[in-house]
Amino acid sequence: MSMPALRRAGPASLGLSRLRANGAGITIAALLSLFILTPLVNVAIWAFTEIWRYPAVIPQKFGFRFWGDVLSRGDVHLAMTTSLSLAAIVTALSALICLPASYAFARMDFPGRNLFFMSFLTVYAFPKFGLYITIATIFLGLGLIGNFWGVVLIQLVSTLMFMVWIPVSAFQNVDRRQEEAARDAGASPLRVFWSITLPQVLPAISAAVLLTFVNTFYETEVAWLIGAPEVRTVPLLMVRFINSELVVQYGAVLSLLLWVPSFVLLMLVRRFLGAQALGRALGA
Amino acid sequence: MNRRNLFRSTIAAAALLAMPAAAMADVNRIDVYITGDSNIINFWNNIIKPAYEKANPQYTLNVVSARNNIAPIVDRALAALGSDVDPQVDIFDENDPNLPKGAIEKGLWVDFTKAGLANYGKLNPVTLETDYGLPYRGTQVVLAYDTTKLKPEDAPKTWAELVAWMKANPGQFTHNRPDTGGSGGNFVRRAIHEANGRDPSLFRIDNYVAGESDERLAKGFELLKEIAPYTYGPGSYSGDNMQSIQLLAQGVVTMVPVWSDMALDAVNKGVLPETTGFTQLTDLAFAGGFADMTVPTNAGNLEATMKLADIVLSPEVQTKVVTEIGAFPAISWEHLPQDLAAKYAAMQPASIPTFPGGPWVSAISDGWFRTVAPHVTR
Amino acid sequence: MSRAEATRQDTKGRRPIGLLLVAVPVFLVLSLIVWPVALSVFDTLTVETPSGVTLSLDAYRFFFSDSFSLRNLWMTVQVAAICTALLLAISLPIALYLRFSTSRLTGYIQALALFPLFVPSILLAYALIRTLGPNGTVDILLSAVGLPKLASPYLTIWGPIIGLVWDNLPLTLLIVLAGLGNVSRASIDAARDVGANRVQLLRYIILPRIRSTLLVAASFVILGLFSAFTLPYLLGPAVPEMMGPFMRRTIIDVDDPLQARTQAVVTFLICAAFAYFYVRSIARTRREQSS
Repeated sequence: MSMPALRRAGPASLGLSRLRANGAGITIAALLSLFILTPLVNVAIWAFTEIWRYPAVIPQKFGFRFWGDVLSRGDVHLAMTTSLSLAAIVTALSALICLPASYAFARMDFPGRNLFFMSFLTVYAFPKFGLYITIATIFLGLGLIGNFWGVVLIQLVSTLMFMVWIPVSAFQNVDRRQEEAARDAGASPLRVFWSITLPQVLPAISAAVLLTFVNTFYETEVAWLIGAPEVRTVPLLMVRFINSELVVQYGAVLSLLLWVPSFVLLMLVRRFLGAQALGRALGA
Repeated sequence: MNRRNLFRSTIAAAALLAMPAAAMADVNRIDVYITGDSNIINFWNNIIKPAYEKANPQYTLNVVSARNNIAPIVDRALAALGSDVDPQVDIFDENDPNLPKGAIEKGLWVDFTKAGLANYGKLNPVTLETDYGLPYRGTQVVLAYDTTKLKPEDAPKTWAELVAWMKANPGQFTHNRPDTGGSGGNFVRRAIHEANGRDPSLFRIDNYVAGESDERLAKGFELLKEIAPYTYGPGSYSGDNMQSIQLLAQGVVTMVPVWSDMALDAVNKGVLPETTGFTQLTDLAFAGGFADMTVPTNAGNLEATMKLADIVLSPEVQTKVVTEIGAFPAISWEHLPQDLAAKYAAMQPASIPTFPGGPWVSAISDGWFRTVAPHVTR
Repeated sequence: MSRAEATRQDTKGRRPIGLLLVAVPVFLVLSLIVWPVALSVFDTLTVETPSGVTLSLDAYRFFFSDSFSLRNLWMTVQVAAICTALLLAISLPIALYLRFSTSRLTGYIQALALFPLFVPSILLAYALIRTLGPNGTVDILLSAVGLPKLASPYLTIWGPIIGLVWDNLPLTLLIVLAGLGNVSRASIDAARDVGANRVQLLRYIILPRIRSTLLVAASFVILGLFSAFTLPYLLGPAVPEMMGPFMRRTIIDVDDPLQARTQAVVTFLICAAFAYFYVRSIARTRREQSS
């Protein structure tokens, strides 16, 4: 194809590829909606349902009975406070101790580096239930059973792998030439870190923070094995609602209540993640 | 920045470890772990808690739900035994003192025959299974069925009729796995009774002998293997008492075994339709039993907990056991109000067949999973 | 001081700082994971005899000669393999689209794919039973339009698979997406200019650059799958059981903590094998980069 021909074909093929890309997008969006949303919509309908039996397409009886029940309970408010502070404290502590470690693993050489790096795998590789039972015995001697800080400590350990590993690859992939150029131009190391390194690893860090926060918030085993009877979190309440209340509706209402703040959080983080990813995609 | 972070995190970690844990535990709090469903939790919160706190104003009752998750908490109490650590466990509402193995020998549980409880003598002797458990409410497994598909007059009355009905209606019966809840567990135990001459006295807490007893169990498993092809699925056993109820509610199956009190609650809440019927086998009822409270000897508030146990056995609370949760009282009817006894005593079977816990639990769970469950799979 | 000397001192000086930076997390892992794990392993390798503790492989001999245990292990491996394959197959196209498309749909797709993070597995289990279970919503809709009912995945091996894929999608997607950040738009355009088609692009440009990311994603997911409990317990068949419910039942119901620990250690060793491959590939990538 000659150059002028290519130039002429340019806009048309560009439009075609955009159309094709959007066709792919619509397909992905449709399939994903079906897969992800069907159970969620179901839960949402259940939250407003009092009786729904096969084969009715529309529930036999709608109502807000379970909303009143859930909202008027003192334990729901208490559990919400406990869960939020637990997740916030664990995430903050985790970021505080893991991000420097992550940087060190990515950029520095020191004895035992690979061994230490691999040691974080044990957090995930050993089946949790067996592990926590052993830990519970150890914690008992330390007086950390039924203690908020005991739960924080062990939750903190279970977040380590995400917080160290996810940013490591990002730190490794930071463009070293840019850093060197900035340093050659007289920028201080801190300044280089702040304006060159950090922006490049921020998407990975925010992904790690998001995962840590959410995983901590929705964790049940540790909260039960280490935290009972003192520490009562929202998911524990949900387990109790669903397992022992006979009706799914309490759990459905509670999660619907949680989805509102979750969605806001997700949108905030998404904008953050998306802007970075899209920004780089456009060559910025 | 990194160094500063590190410094701060060290401080935080140090503060974390130095936190005086003992200061967190409330010394005047009694921790009650409830294994039962919501009706039992509400019963403790609304009936027993006010009664106890009125009599002992210096203490508060902390009711904790522990459904299907009690073993780690028992392990915690066992681990604390012999040290001066407070396991933060005062009483379990329903627990088998024979588990884990050796807990009794190690002195984990309070022996109630020597505890000097004022109301201990009032207990109905048929409810007593062990010295280390204090029975306080009884319940039983029955069959719940959909009366729109099975007329009450056709409901099976014996094991043989039940099997015949299952074979005539394949896929219309299911029960949950014996490890996930008593309604399925006691269905399995009923098959074991059936295969051993319907004689519950053959199975006692102290007569499990590996090998010999396993043969008795195996006979029951053979009966279950025979009906496995006619269960829902076939061979799909649900994961919880409640899931069986849900399958019945959704019209997937026609009949499931259920706990009587739980199923009545489900009808009241609209989970099960009004058209749900109940039936009990008359040749030998499904095993049920009395919930045994157990108290670890290293409970933080042992003395106050014993007072609590006494209150639960008082005629006042036992009356409520009948009227509030529709369960059987653990103390003899002569200690209860006459009008109540006149009204309900007939309802309580002369004795609920029971199946002992302890080593039998593990033998049945392991045996069922190894022989019955793999027999038919989808 | 010569320049070379200064450099050498520099590297020497940095060593303790690196160690210091990783000290706290490493200490936590050693004291709260490695130590208890070591205790468990020791427990499974020894028996108490009147003359003291002696080494014994009986616990493992039992496990590996017991067809019931092996079947459960095999089921777990199968579920983990199927889930991982499905997860990578689903997340890769989504991630590619999110990375390289400028369409407005990306926002919607990303939010949707991340939403399972906010659904605890206990609730998901019940939602799936109500949706895909017998006479669930799908059946209701199918029978409303006169179609036959679904062969329900509930209480079969596909129940936990669907649940676990749903549950792990956001994690996998986030990791793959993070890895795709390494593939620049420019390199794609350059390959396109020399006439590479989509398959070639994927095969020669994109996949080599995100190979280690895919490995990370796979190992993360596999490790989580091996100890999954709630979804297999509520959605899966009675037998074979996945290792999570199996271990729990062995501790609580069968009252055999030694076998439960043995199961845990065996599971751990399999996971550790995955971990080893992962770490080796990372190390190789690093060597390639530094040389």
